[in-house]
Amino acid sequence: MRRFIEFVVRFKDYITLSALMVICFAMMTFGNVAQLGGFRTIVVGGIGWMQNVFSWIPNPVALKSENRALRELNLQLSTETAKMRQAMLENEKLRKMLAFKEPSSAPIVPAEVIGKTTVQLRNFITINRGAKDKIKPGMVAKTDAGVVGTVVSASDNFALIQLIIDRDARIAARIERTGIDGIVAWEGEQNLIIKNIPKSYDVQAGDLLVTSNYSNKYPAGIPVGRVTEVRDEANSLFRKILITPAVKFSSLDQLYVVLYVPNPERAQMEQEIEKRVEQSIQARTSKRVR
Amino acid sequence: MAVFSEQSSVLNTSPALRYIYYAVIALVLCIIHRMFLDLISVAGVTPDLLLLLTVWIALKEGQSVGQFAGFGAGLLFDIISVDVLGTNALAKSIAGFIAGYFYSEDEREDKTGSYKFLLIVFLCALIHNLIYFFFYIRLTEMGFLEFFLKYGVASTLYTTVAAVFPMLIASRKKRYDDRDF
Repeated sequence: MRRFIEFVVRFKDYITLSALMVICFAMMTFGNVAQLGGFRTIVVGGIGWMQNVFSWIPNPVALKSENRALRELNLQLSTETAKMRQAMLENEKLRKMLAFKEPSSAPIVPAEVIGKTTVQLRNFITINRGAKDKIKPGMVAKTDAGVVGTVVSASDNFALIQLIIDRDARIAARIERTGIDGIVAWEGEQNLIIKNIPKSYDVQAGDLLVTSNYSNKYPAGIPVGRVTEVRDEANSLFRKILITPAVKFSSLDQLYVVLYVPNPERAQMEQEIEKRVEQSIQARTSKRVR
Repeated sequence: MAVFSEQSSVLNTSPALRYIYYAVIALVLCIIHRMFLDLISVAGVTPDLLLLLTVWIALKEGQSVGQFAGFGAGLLFDIISVDVLGTNALAKSIAGFIAGYFYSEDEREDKTGSYKFLLIVFLCALIHNLIYFFFYIRLTEMGFLEFFLKYGVASTLYTTVAAVFPMLIASRKKRYDDRDF
């Protein structure tokens, strides 16, 4: 017993570190923040309230890039408005001819961005609308330019949105010109990427990507971004496609939350499949390591 | 001034008060991290203030306290930011442990108030980011090395630059104390 106590005293720092590491690994395995539920809502509410109080502090870098983005958008919109007007009339006429049903458009809630968190690659924003405005986790946020992200947590007056430029973000998207589908993921900084597109597929720089019908998370047809570069990977049958997001996140200050909650049954089924695939990948990786 | 020196003498003598003081600072830094650091972010990279606090505490109080401080600060940050619980706690506990190696009772002020502090912060931040990014990008398709070189090294350098401010404060305090004696 005395020897044991001596051992503990001698190596107390190492024993403490080992114990702390075991606790950390246990938390990583079993304790997701999402399971903290109510506590997380209080944190979001509290931080949101404080960000609201200090939202008057200007960010000169963001203001500059916002101005530039607005000017570009203005120019783009003015040329597109004329085209759109004509296309709408034509579309209406054709729809009547084909007796098409109007796509259902979910109501939207305008919101202001009161805080941004881009610390250590966590890309979240806080908005000044919450559960009182019928905002729920899972809803999509967008701007006139395109998709922003999804609501991950909501208190009464504030909500936290995970941007599409985040490590966990995955978007089922379609190239509008050719209809090719793929999964868009974050590549770092302000870039998105689609991998595993066969070289034989027609993808060009400048192509617009929109959310696809296959996505349960995002309503279809919202712009995601434009293809900026198509890279042919060496010794591979596939291409790497780099995309610039449609939304300029550095100057984002207003957005809309689409009051559309994905079908829970479909979401649960897809989550279960994703979990199974993830588990089988992990099992394969651990076998390879052994 | 007299009140301040009286307060600081209480902090110097009572460990319990000192730990409460550290906890309050950690909480304040956490809020600053979450709310204001975006204003000074460079391409999404920000200094890690809680890591600075962990290294500071480890150099002032020793390895054991440093580890617990890292664990507590990391856990607090994991809860406040929406991330996998335990990643920051693990990285900061190890950073506190490493910083604790440089603890020496006679050189407390010397270490925090000199360029040695910057070197220790650099080393701890590098190891911290290595561990953090390893767990951060697991199960994703991102390349670890590419991300670590891009963000990990940048964050390490930014944190080291931010460490200049506490170093200057400690150095000034040391000069004051020396003059008083």
